[in-house]
Amino acid sequence: MKRRYVQLDVFAGRPGDGNPLAVVLDGEGLDDATMQAIARWTRLPETTFVFPATSAEASYGLRIFSPRREVPFAGHPSVGTAHAVLEAGLAQPRDGLLVQQGIAGLLPLRVEGDGAKRTIAVRTPTARVMEVATASDPRLRDALRGLPLGALPPALMDGGRRWWLVELADETSLRAAIPDWNAISKLAHDTESMGICVFARSDDPVYYLAVRAWVGAPAHFEDAASGAANATLAAWLASRDALPGDTGFYRVSQGREVGHDAIIELLVDGAGEVWSGGRACTVVRGRIDWP
Amino acid sequence: MSLPRSTRRYLQLDVFAERPGGGNPLGVVFDAADFDAASMQAFAAWTNLSETIFMLPPTSGDADYRVRIFTPRQELPFAGHPSVGAAWAAVEGGLATPRDGALVQECAAGLLPVRVEGAPGHLRVDVRAPRAREIAGAATRHASEVDLALAGLALGQQAPALWSNGPAWWLVELPDGAAVRAMQPDLAAIAALTRASGAVGLAVHGRADAIDHQLVVRAYCPADNIPEDPVTGSVNACIAAQLAQAGTLPGRDGRYVASQGRELGRDGRVHVHVDAQGEAWIGGQVQRVIDGRVGWPAHVGNVR
Repeated sequence: MKRRYVQLDVFAGRPGDGNPLAVVLDGEGLDDATMQAIARWTRLPETTFVFPATSAEASYGLRIFSPRREVPFAGHPSVGTAHAVLEAGLAQPRDGLLVQQGIAGLLPLRVEGDGAKRTIAVRTPTARVMEVATASDPRLRDALRGLPLGALPPALMDGGRRWWLVELADETSLRAAIPDWNAISKLAHDTESMGICVFARSDDPVYYLAVRAWVGAPAHFEDAASGAANATLAAWLASRDALPGDTGFYRVSQGREVGHDAIIELLVDGAGEVWSGGRACTVVRGRIDWP
Repeated sequence: MSLPRSTRRYLQLDVFAERPGGGNPLGVVFDAADFDAASMQAFAAWTNLSETIFMLPPTSGDADYRVRIFTPRQELPFAGHPSVGAAWAAVEGGLATPRDGALVQECAAGLLPVRVEGAPGHLRVDVRAPRAREIAGAATRHASEVDLALAGLALGQQAPALWSNGPAWWLVELPDGAAVRAMQPDLAAIAALTRASGAVGLAVHGRADAIDHQLVVRAYCPADNIPEDPVTGSVNACIAAQLAQAGTLPGRDGRYVASQGRELGRDGRVHVHVDAQGEAWIGGQVQRVIDGRVGWPAHVGNVR
């Protein structure tokens, strides 16, 4: 059976700027082992599978797989899947909202605009502050050596996955920073976290924050565009009354240091909920034949 | 529904596979004549596949089609599974018609003969690999690193040796196929050996007496951040050259099938043939997994 298949670039207005995602639009009939095998074969950070919703409140169901395992929630797969579902006409927003039904439950997505200008943001699971540390903390010292730190103390946040969030003094030092992978890997193992997400405030007219996300475990890599990590960062900034701008809405630049140029949009709404989103563009559209 | 820019045909194939997911994936972009090299490299990085290829009109009158091969990091002059996939795509995509089962592929390494058999939908493709040779003295020069990389392993009759057909591979015979499947590689020691000797990786092989294969192969490239490669064309061609030189080719008439990738949840089959001239051919089946269109800017300059 041939199923509709889309490969998108998420948090990008142009192909290549964002974080890639594969979407199988007709997931019905695929078992867990087959979905995992497809996600391993695509070699992309995540592959999603779309199903008819089983809840009356949901617009569609989805499952999210990395090449190694199923992921309960992730930001860029949620945004990209909604984009693919809308393009294929599988669901329509109601009052500007879609509702995805994943294994983390029902989550709403806001849809604004249309076509290439369309932006989609997902309401992220509530993140909490696990720990506020100091830069001289022996667990952090090696990973932060040589980095000029900003005003906020380092914090460990849990938004499904755990990240250390560290403010740097300015955008120039953030972009020039060279990650110490051994130290980041040790920190990730010792604290059961993904690694470090560093951020700095910016004077750029488009974005208020520049972010880099260094994943220390299980592999070493710098993420091109991190929807969920940026959502935990927004929750951390909101908890310290330190959000950039004054409307609760701001844009983040991420990925330039690894050859991408993503823009992620964050909104902390009146109820304190964090929405993470942006644009997406379709790069490959076709069918997948996998028995 | 339209893609954001002019689109062209795109296939994602599974090479050396008898079913989807069994082999080594390959991205294929058709009609790529207007792509510049930077744009090809950017797309190959974005797909994150071990190789992505671009189909082009030939520049030589002796060639049927031309292909450029990119990993996420660099362009390669030649590689096995991309060449098998390129020939398959050229025939299935109507770019070339074999004459008496023969095609000539043009790639950065030069002109390469290809054989195509079978009806459309069931094509078997074989490509002639560049001739492999042993790098003399390497095993002596790197004896201590070899010992560390193979510590605790019972070896077969053939002494470990370094061979090259473009990429250089350490080839290690084990007593039989079961020993190959059971091997627990010391990846740190293998990485140290391959770095010290300029090799791309280390491969082990052992005989099997199965209905559908006569050799079991595994290939490790930990220094390139690939702990184990699922199905490897070039390494199978090197092993064939080594076994032919020793006069110990498995199978019959210089033909055998190698099984690779089961330990990674794959099930690759590489058809190997050493012909009367001593040239090694590698081939297999190709599965069309994804068939669609791609929208990607042909010039990086237009994007940034």
